[in-house]
Amino acid sequence: MRCHKVKDYISQEMDEHLPPDVTVDLTEHLDSCAECREFRDDLLLGRRVMSATAPVLPDNFEWKLQLKLNQTLQRTAGETAYPWTETDQDKWRWVRNFGAAAAVGMAAVLALAVFIGPENGPGDAVQAVSREGSSGEVQTTSAGAGNSDRLPLFVDRSRRGGLYGSGMQRPVAAGGSSISRTGGLFDRGWSGHDLEDLRTIQRLRIQNGQLNRDLFRQQQTIRGMRAQLDTIDTNALDLEQE
Amino acid sequence: MNLSRDEHLHGSPAPSRVELRDVRDEDLIVMVQEGHKKAFDELVARYKGRLFSFILRMVKDPTLAEELTQETLIRVYIHAAKYREIAKFSTWVFTIATNLVRNKMRQRSRRPRVISLNPAPEDDEMPVDPPDMGADPTEGIHREELAELINEATSRIPEKYRIPFLLREVDQLSYEEIQQVTGLKLGTVRSRINRARNRFRQLIKPMLKNETLLQELERIEARAAEEKNKDF
Repeated sequence: MRCHKVKDYISQEMDEHLPPDVTVDLTEHLDSCAECREFRDDLLLGRRVMSATAPVLPDNFEWKLQLKLNQTLQRTAGETAYPWTETDQDKWRWVRNFGAAAAVGMAAVLALAVFIGPENGPGDAVQAVSREGSSGEVQTTSAGAGNSDRLPLFVDRSRRGGLYGSGMQRPVAAGGSSISRTGGLFDRGWSGHDLEDLRTIQRLRIQNGQLNRDLFRQQQTIRGMRAQLDTIDTNALDLEQE
Repeated sequence: MNLSRDEHLHGSPAPSRVELRDVRDEDLIVMVQEGHKKAFDELVARYKGRLFSFILRMVKDPTLAEELTQETLIRVYIHAAKYREIAKFSTWVFTIATNLVRNKMRQRSRRPRVISLNPAPEDDEMPVDPPDMGADPTEGIHREELAELINEATSRIPEKYRIPFLLREVDQLSYEEIQQVTGLKLGTVRSRINRARNRFRQLIKPMLKNETLLQELERIEARAAEEKNKDF
């Protein structure tokens, strides 16, 4: 057996990967070759040194690990694939959260609809009452085409040379005549005057914005609570507690 | 009453760390998948030291090594559900660690390097010098210094040899496990470990001849054996 080959075998012998017959030959060679023996002793000593100088982790490693794990879980809350199987209750948690957010949103939309919508209920929503000048003639027109579910907001000034063209069918008080109180349009905040109506629109926009912000805040709170829930789960990761 | 998540999920008190000592790694990770936090604690206790040793000897920077050890364990926790018992748990953990280390070293190598106008001999070719013992014979070499020298020597082994070498010498992974972690062929694993050992021997050769250092090594081993006996 040549020394070059022996050095290769020594490494395998250290890892107990050498077939028994080759091990016998190797042992015989080592008995007779001082250089290869020294080589093997060096490798074994190297292994001893390596094992004896294994680095030691700082004492607060586990504490730092727990902190980092909590931070990671918080950051990925809602996106994390949980390491444990979700219970049935957990599976539907998102439905509950989404449901709450959707309910708040719907409430906001409904509030707006009630505030600016037609007064005679959904069946009459497609009808708009129009009063022409001082004639006193009352027409009932179907607004079924196009934006049938919306009320036109602006005064029909086409006949008075106003800014807004024909087709605007918003009921207005024009020519000094007043719309019947039973229509209730004044009760809803419309004055029949452009400037005031624009202000009303502005006010409604602000209110709408406020509701949207409230909705957003609610969603944030829900998200925060979910993250907190996930954090609570990791509090058990205290390696010192038994 | 304050119930842990383990109790909520399983209705019985969570097993203590002592009870988990004899449980296999592969069973522990299944318990982590089921929500047992103590099982993860046990895995951390088993692997933190081995991971840190491996990573520190790869990156040479203790702070970075600690960070990467944490990152590995966090990934184990976050992705526990992805573990399937087709491979040993240790193989899976060290694959995560090796990938993290490789990425970090790749990032480092992309940084611009300062090139000296006075070329010095290649670091790899120079043996690591132990402190000059002749200067003050009363001053013995300490464990930390010895560890630093060994780390220095290890870091001079080229990366492709160092990874299988450390996985074998520090983490005692089998050749087959190292093959799975590195994706190398079995013969390549064997030859790279062999070459790394030879290189390591060349690098620490001056140390191996140093009597003071050998005495310190014996002291360290004796202390380690004492501590082991105390634990039992």
